[in-house]
Amino acid sequence: MTLALVLTLLSPIIGGFVYGFERILRARMQGRVGPPLLQPFYDFFKLLEKRSLIVHSFHAFMGIMYLLGTWFSLYVLLSGGDILVAIFFHLLSLAFLVVGGFSVRSPYSIIGSMRELLHMVAYEPVFVLAAAGLYLVTGTFQVSEILHSDQLPILYVPLVFLSLLLALPSVLKKSPFDLSEAHQEIIGGPEIEYSGKYYEAVYTAKWIEYVYAFFFVFLFAGGKWWLGALLVLFSFFLVNLIDNVTARFNFRQMVAFHWYILIPLTVINLMLLALWRN
Amino acid sequence: MEKVVGALVLVPWLLALLVFISPWHRVRQFFTFLSLPILTFLTYRVSAGNLPLLVETPNWLNGFVTLYDFLLLFYFLYQGLKFRNFLVSVLSLFQLFLLVWVLKVLPHKEGAELLVDRLTVFMYWIVATVGTLIAFYATKYMEQEDLSRENRFVSVLLWFLGVMNFAVSVNNLEWFFALFETTTLASYVLIRFRWDEISIKNALRALWMNQIGGVAILLAILFAVKYYGVYRFTEILSMKGHLVSMVPLSFLAISALVKGAQLPFHRWLLGAMVAPTPVSAILHSATMVKIAPYLILRLSPVIKGTLLAKLLIITTGFVFVSAGLLALTQSNFKKILAYSTISLLGLMMLTGSMGSPTAVLASLLLILFHAVVKALLFMEAGVMEKLFKAKYIEDIKRLVERAPVTVLFISIGFMSMTIVPYGIFVAKWLTIEEASNFLSHGAYISSIIFVAIGGVILSLLYFKVIGVMTRKREEFVRFRLERLPFVYLFSTVPLVLFTVFGSLFIARLSAELINPVVAQVVGSPAPVKAAGLTLITGVSALYGWQIIGAFLLLLIVPILAYFVHFSGTDRVFPYTCGERVDLTLGTYNFFCVSSIEPFVETASVALFILTLVLGGGLV
Repeated sequence: MTLALVLTLLSPIIGGFVYGFERILRARMQGRVGPPLLQPFYDFFKLLEKRSLIVHSFHAFMGIMYLLGTWFSLYVLLSGGDILVAIFFHLLSLAFLVVGGFSVRSPYSIIGSMRELLHMVAYEPVFVLAAAGLYLVTGTFQVSEILHSDQLPILYVPLVFLSLLLALPSVLKKSPFDLSEAHQEIIGGPEIEYSGKYYEAVYTAKWIEYVYAFFFVFLFAGGKWWLGALLVLFSFFLVNLIDNVTARFNFRQMVAFHWYILIPLTVINLMLLALWRN
Repeated sequence: MEKVVGALVLVPWLLALLVFISPWHRVRQFFTFLSLPILTFLTYRVSAGNLPLLVETPNWLNGFVTLYDFLLLFYFLYQGLKFRNFLVSVLSLFQLFLLVWVLKVLPHKEGAELLVDRLTVFMYWIVATVGTLIAFYATKYMEQEDLSRENRFVSVLLWFLGVMNFAVSVNNLEWFFALFETTTLASYVLIRFRWDEISIKNALRALWMNQIGGVAILLAILFAVKYYGVYRFTEILSMKGHLVSMVPLSFLAISALVKGAQLPFHRWLLGAMVAPTPVSAILHSATMVKIAPYLILRLSPVIKGTLLAKLLIITTGFVFVSAGLLALTQSNFKKILAYSTISLLGLMMLTGSMGSPTAVLASLLLILFHAVVKALLFMEAGVMEKLFKAKYIEDIKRLVERAPVTVLFISIGFMSMTIVPYGIFVAKWLTIEEASNFLSHGAYISSIIFVAIGGVILSLLYFKVIGVMTRKREEFVRFRLERLPFVYLFSTVPLVLFTVFGSLFIARLSAELINPVVAQVVGSPAPVKAAGLTLITGVSALYGWQIIGAFLLLLIVPILAYFVHFSGTDRVFPYTCGERVDLTLGTYNFFCVSSIEPFVETASVALFILTLVLGGGLV
């Protein structure tokens, strides 16, 4: 319990390092040197000093709530609770971002929020089915028990793992599914109207989401922590590779990819497993 | 105790009569209000008693019901001829023919005609609280619409409550048919209420669609008599395990699907939108469509695990997803609510057909919270319509600036259908966990896909609407709550409070209040326990601190958000990339989805036929 609390409290720092490392990794993939590892934190302190411009307080407040909501949902996950509840708590944090984005009369922000919802429509069923897959293997929905189970979920549900892996770009807003940010067309989407301290809240929440998303990958190793770490490293590398080599899809292609390819993959795996078990 | 049950049926009729003859608005309002304490008290008396209760009725009542059946069907026939509606007339004639046949073959056996068990009392509770609040709300609504016709309108609503109470407590299938068709009549009268061309058209459509349900019940009786020689719910339930044929059950299931406005029969419920808003509220929450999950739950011990149950799961799960998708294309606020009702009714019946204790618990939670929340949302739709002249999504733009309280209530209603601590979420969560136990069957695996996808589609829908409502131009310079009439507040605030506190104490609610109902429906209680606020199911738990945390984030924060003003920061206009154009911001309306509508309807017709033919063993 204390470990969970400490991890949750440290998660912005962990996420920040992950983000910094990611920028280096991406730069190397593109043949650049990239910024220093601590660059996200430098950005953080720079943003603190900037003059804040806001549209109205409700909007700025929702940005802060997005940070708190994400943080809370991460704690729900790390504290060893029900995995489905954690997935739906993530929806709660998304709600703040989306309502915040909708609450200003800015076309970019509103389009971004709407796309954010479409992201949710795409990846959430995959996550729910992945939770069902973990349940089939380990016999429990509790994260704490999955982490102590003797089974290796990835051996039984490899296709589920694969589809979760391919859904990660959409959770993390990475190419090819970076619709809601889409810097070239809608200039950052829901976060466009934030600045200074308030943007910082949204920025930090994104770091926390890194920890949240990769923790799901970690779960697929069950009790084997070293294997979990390897899986996380592998998926991190893969997500960045995909990010670097692909172009953006439109939302129909995104939803279609998740619904017509990833969900059937998951389901096939679950059915085969259930058949084999009986 | 028999007298109390009788009173539950007759008191609303009596009050309806009093409201009808009373010439003064205030007196009518008083009598309508009176139904709330009286019905609640009576329901409390029944629920405190010994259940299940089998009530013997005098013989003349049987003959009376039969006579009433004929009168009702002749009235339908008359309506069909009067408005030259082919389907209504033909179906009435067909029903008359079947009814005569039924009466000819119906064996007369001694036995109780009324069955009052915990499930019935559960429905009584919904009628006694939600239903009466809507009737009370309707008095104010009519004051703003057309006071001269108020007495008719409100008395029909009250009478409808009595009919509903009667319908959920009958044991005899022939009586059930009579009451089923009476609710059809009530909805027909209510939808037709405004007497313009479109109202009559939609009312007739509701009539013939529901008549199909009536035909299905009559066929069910015929087959039940033929195969089992019985015609009562209790007798059918006692034959669990050695059924000769599933045909009667499949017909009953079909009638439930029709009553529950499942695709392709959803049009009658959408057509009902032309009536005054309280009609929608009462049809969607406390009465009428709730017969559908009620009937499925009644039958669930017998159909559990059969092919019929699996086909029902697929059919209703399909409706859950596709009605949610079609709702995305709508821009009329009430239609959005209607589609989401259809969708959630699908989920209720899906969980009902799964039939395991936890699934039935989920179904009951859904029925309860859906009744409360939908009543709330429709009442707020009426408030928006009457006070803020907003019917379409385009009209509710920036409503938060004018009506913060209304927006807060609507947001609570919407959030309660998607976000974590609320009752409907808990039901969905239980459904997914329960479905994970049965993954080896195709139908159950489809149920988990349907629940996962349907759930997010509804979230998308609700956030879309909340987003439009909360849009603001600038800072609140001067924060002011709108003034709502007392009656509106009186009827909506209890529902909001129930949504919030019922969800906060969801563990106690489901373990102590709902679980006895589950135990009586299924035979064994669901393995849920309450420890403080924590809800512990067989395989996992929803912790109290999670519920409280989510509530702090969700409830306190949006209210607080009105009062938070960041000082020391500069206000700017939204960034428009340097373009200087007038902003007219809408929202996505998903035209692309309407292109699949024909396919969806075809598929749902196919599923209906499959359910009937394969599930009923008619092959």
